[in-house]
Amino acid sequence: MALDPFALLGIPPRFDLDIEATERRFRELSRVVHPDRFAGAGAHERRQALGRSIDLNDAWRKLRDPISRAEALLRAQGVEVSEASQPRASQALLLDFMELREQLAETRASRDVAAARLLAAEVQGREGAVLRRLSEGFTRLAEASPAERGPLAASLLEGVGELRYVRRFLDEVRAIEED
Amino acid sequence: MAYSDKVIEHYENPRNVGTLDKNDDAVGTGLVGAPACGDVMRLQIKVSDEGVIEDAKFKTFGCGSAIASSSLATEWLKGKNIDEAETIKNSMIAEELNLPPVKIHCSVLAEDAIKSAIADYRRKRAEKKALQGG
Repeated sequence: MALDPFALLGIPPRFDLDIEATERRFRELSRVVHPDRFAGAGAHERRQALGRSIDLNDAWRKLRDPISRAEALLRAQGVEVSEASQPRASQALLLDFMELREQLAETRASRDVAAARLLAAEVQGREGAVLRRLSEGFTRLAEASPAERGPLAASLLEGVGELRYVRRFLDEVRAIEED
Repeated sequence: MAYSDKVIEHYENPRNVGTLDKNDDAVGTGLVGAPACGDVMRLQIKVSDEGVIEDAKFKTFGCGSAIASSSLATEWLKGKNIDEAETIKNSMIAEELNLPPVKIHCSVLAEDAIKSAIADYRRKRAEKKALQGG
């Protein structure tokens, strides 16, 4: 299952990804294994091409999302990524998001989409800061000594965790906008 | 995925939604999050001098199972003394609500919230005692 998405697309593993270039790469590779090209081929070849096509889609989906991209990078560095290895969020983070969610619930109750968007902008600012922190962290991880790696990996996992609270919040904002 | 009738019942009629004064010495607050999905849950207990939970409130931003788990937890907590309350296990919540395996973590979250609320209450009490020199 856990094929390295960077290896699949044949691009160097890094957090700061040129998303457009990665998408171009994905499209190029996908074209080669497109089912139309295998219409006249044998069953085995068709199945292989389809499998490759699915793997490529999966890799692109993982790479364009910063959370799964970060997880793939951590795994490639031998860091365990699972629900059990996910550090608990700090009380400060939980307090912030509890308050944000309460404020968002109020905007929903009063159908104040403008206020919800204001909250979203605040959380997006926070998301930007976490992404920068992750980007710096991954750069340092690549050059870290064995003793530095543990704490660095832990702080990266924490950043990924924060992104999940961010995403959940922004999903809620979208739900309000669509209401 | 289909929710059980009990989950739907708690989701539609959640018990004890609300807030207790977190600065009250008799109130313990547990604030927990689900790292996998970014849901947050707050559970509070108000404990009498005799150590009995007089009131319990929760606020959960999460899926139906997380809301039902915390709603059920507050129902169970009320009237129990805190030592009894501490024996509530996530498996009991999961069983009562017929949670499917993918939703077990919601009951784990509720157990965590109960434990954190009790720990917070105990910590406050110990601090108060220390201040009184007792």
